[in-house]
Amino acid sequence: MAQTDTLLRYRPWRGVPQGPWQAAVALARVSLKLLIRRRLMWGLFALALLVFFFFFYAQYLVVWIENQLATDTIRFAGVPVNAKNLTRFLDRLSLNGTEHTFGNFIWYQGYVLVIVLALAGSVLIGNDFFHGSLPFYLSKPIGRWHYLLGKSLAVGVLINLLTTVPAMVLWVQAGLLYDWQTYYFNNLSLLLGIIGYGLVLTVTLSVLVMATAVWLRRTVPLAMVWMGLFALLPMLAGWLVDATKDERWRLIDLWNNLYLCGLSCLQTDHATIRPAPQPDFGLAWIAVGLVVVVCLAYLRRRIQAVEIVA
Amino acid sequence: MNVEQRTPGVPVGGFPGRWEPRAVVAPPREGPAPLSSEPPLLLFEQVSKWYGPVLALNQITLELTGGITGLVGANGAGKSTLLRMANGQIQPTMGRVTIRGVDAWDWRARRLVGYCPDVDAFYEDLSGRRFVWTMARLCGYTRREATRRTQAVLERVGMATRADRKLRGYSKGMRQRIKLAQALLHDPELLILDEPLSGIDPIGRQELLELFQSLAAQGKCLLISSHELEALEKLTNHVVIMARGRIAAVGTLPQIRDLLDDYPLSVRIDVAQPRQVARLLLHLPEVLAVDVSPPLPHETSETLVVKATHPQRFYQQFGHLVVEHGLNIRRFEPLDESAHAILGYLLGGSGKT
Repeated sequence: MAQTDTLLRYRPWRGVPQGPWQAAVALARVSLKLLIRRRLMWGLFALALLVFFFFFYAQYLVVWIENQLATDTIRFAGVPVNAKNLTRFLDRLSLNGTEHTFGNFIWYQGYVLVIVLALAGSVLIGNDFFHGSLPFYLSKPIGRWHYLLGKSLAVGVLINLLTTVPAMVLWVQAGLLYDWQTYYFNNLSLLLGIIGYGLVLTVTLSVLVMATAVWLRRTVPLAMVWMGLFALLPMLAGWLVDATKDERWRLIDLWNNLYLCGLSCLQTDHATIRPAPQPDFGLAWIAVGLVVVVCLAYLRRRIQAVEIVA
Repeated sequence: MNVEQRTPGVPVGGFPGRWEPRAVVAPPREGPAPLSSEPPLLLFEQVSKWYGPVLALNQITLELTGGITGLVGANGAGKSTLLRMANGQIQPTMGRVTIRGVDAWDWRARRLVGYCPDVDAFYEDLSGRRFVWTMARLCGYTRREATRRTQAVLERVGMATRADRKLRGYSKGMRQRIKLAQALLHDPELLILDEPLSGIDPIGRQELLELFQSLAAQGKCLLISSHELEALEKLTNHVVIMARGRIAAVGTLPQIRDLLDDYPLSVRIDVAQPRQVARLLLHLPEVLAVDVSPPLPHETSETLVVKATHPQRFYQQFGHLVVEHGLNIRRFEPLDESAHAILGYLLGGSGKT
């Protein structure tokens, strides 16, 4: 970096440029800023926040009701009602600080997450290819993989902001609702499980976003493919399992596979997973691994042959 | 040495049509010899590029070491492909492109190169300053240094006062300046500019030409692709002319013109007693023909249009003739020595690019 002072007319910079990995972080930061400028994103974040608040307050409510009602039955509009029946409708969500609480929370956040990621893919990666802004990035001293890493980091932050971080907040809250010393000590593995679940989601979904965005580039086709993956395939998987009585058909449902991987990180008893029957954890891991490998292979192929032709 | 077509002038035959282009290779520009055995700044070695069945670049060999070089040619000649390859945006199908000995595909090579692409697809929500700052961060600068450099380059391209507006509100000329700013950020040795003058108003164009000249004076190497031949001629007379994926000619315009044996130079001479001078001229070995033309409007005497081969030798001999016979030359104007004319001869047609 000679002659900096002569060109730019200020004292020469004596530092050493940071490497391309640092550039990937800068790329991720600007990508996130671009995303949060969009109103639609804020609408989706609000929706995700609603889901979180539902779990947060429902978990609190369940414990409060259990603690407050000393008797087994209370009179509701003159009719004696078993106290437990008041919170029965919440039982399905297992709002009791167990592994199913966090699994269910991330499962429901998935509906919002899928839309967010489809949009993020088209905005952050698809637009670079479609509108031809890639030459600006790639004319700087970064490689193709650094570019993809930067974008993946941005997508990873989104994923974790919507799933892992709020799940960890729920874990902290659950500890405060019960005997916190016992809960935190006995359920430390749950926290690690949540982190593991987040890691699986981050790796798989960010790679999938990259691959589909590089492939399709535009928002509408991208949204359609993602809806197919995360709405159509789960329905199809359910019908096929019902028709053939073979639970392995659920492996075509990627979100369910991720859910199983997450539950295996949370060390959940396989028999308690709903909807039943479910394929083995091992098969789900293999299916998720295959998706990652296929996406990485596709990205590698595109990077080797990347042609920036206007 | 500035630019060199390293392969000797191999005929580039095989094109359909009436014109058979050939590589015109001018001798290297005079200048100091390289002080060290440092690898050339930009080197293309037998580079070919296929886009499916289309051959975009065909066996290009080229070396750049400094100064300003214009890259001209018709649309589809392969100029943009060559520039993108020099910047590591695309890989050659065959051959090798290196920047100071480092493969251009390697990200390290791009520390030495600034690229101003012809497209201006920005994130329109960003301000010009933010965009340039982000590019500075991608160059690996700390936040503080990125801020300082951003301000400096924005001042350099005349955008400091308008940089806080969003990119979507920028005119074409402002976009060009922002693109140039991001290319200058890391003080590169080699600047690759694809159509940098497109859409710039005359005053802005003059400012940019001065900027390019000052960069070249600081030892930067500039490779500029442009269809604006008049502007390019003001900047440099050293050009690489491309045609159908090959380099048709490399060198300074007079050098290239000198080598075009098939197209004799036309010179208009206004002189007293034109017919006597015509007789003298016909004795020169380089002169092929002399036409005595009727006088131009507002002029009284006839003018001569001389057709001569080997322009440089002709100029020397004509100078001797003038001194020897005490000729009173009122006007001496080469008619087809401009870049337009040379391109016309090399590429066929009018030479329009």
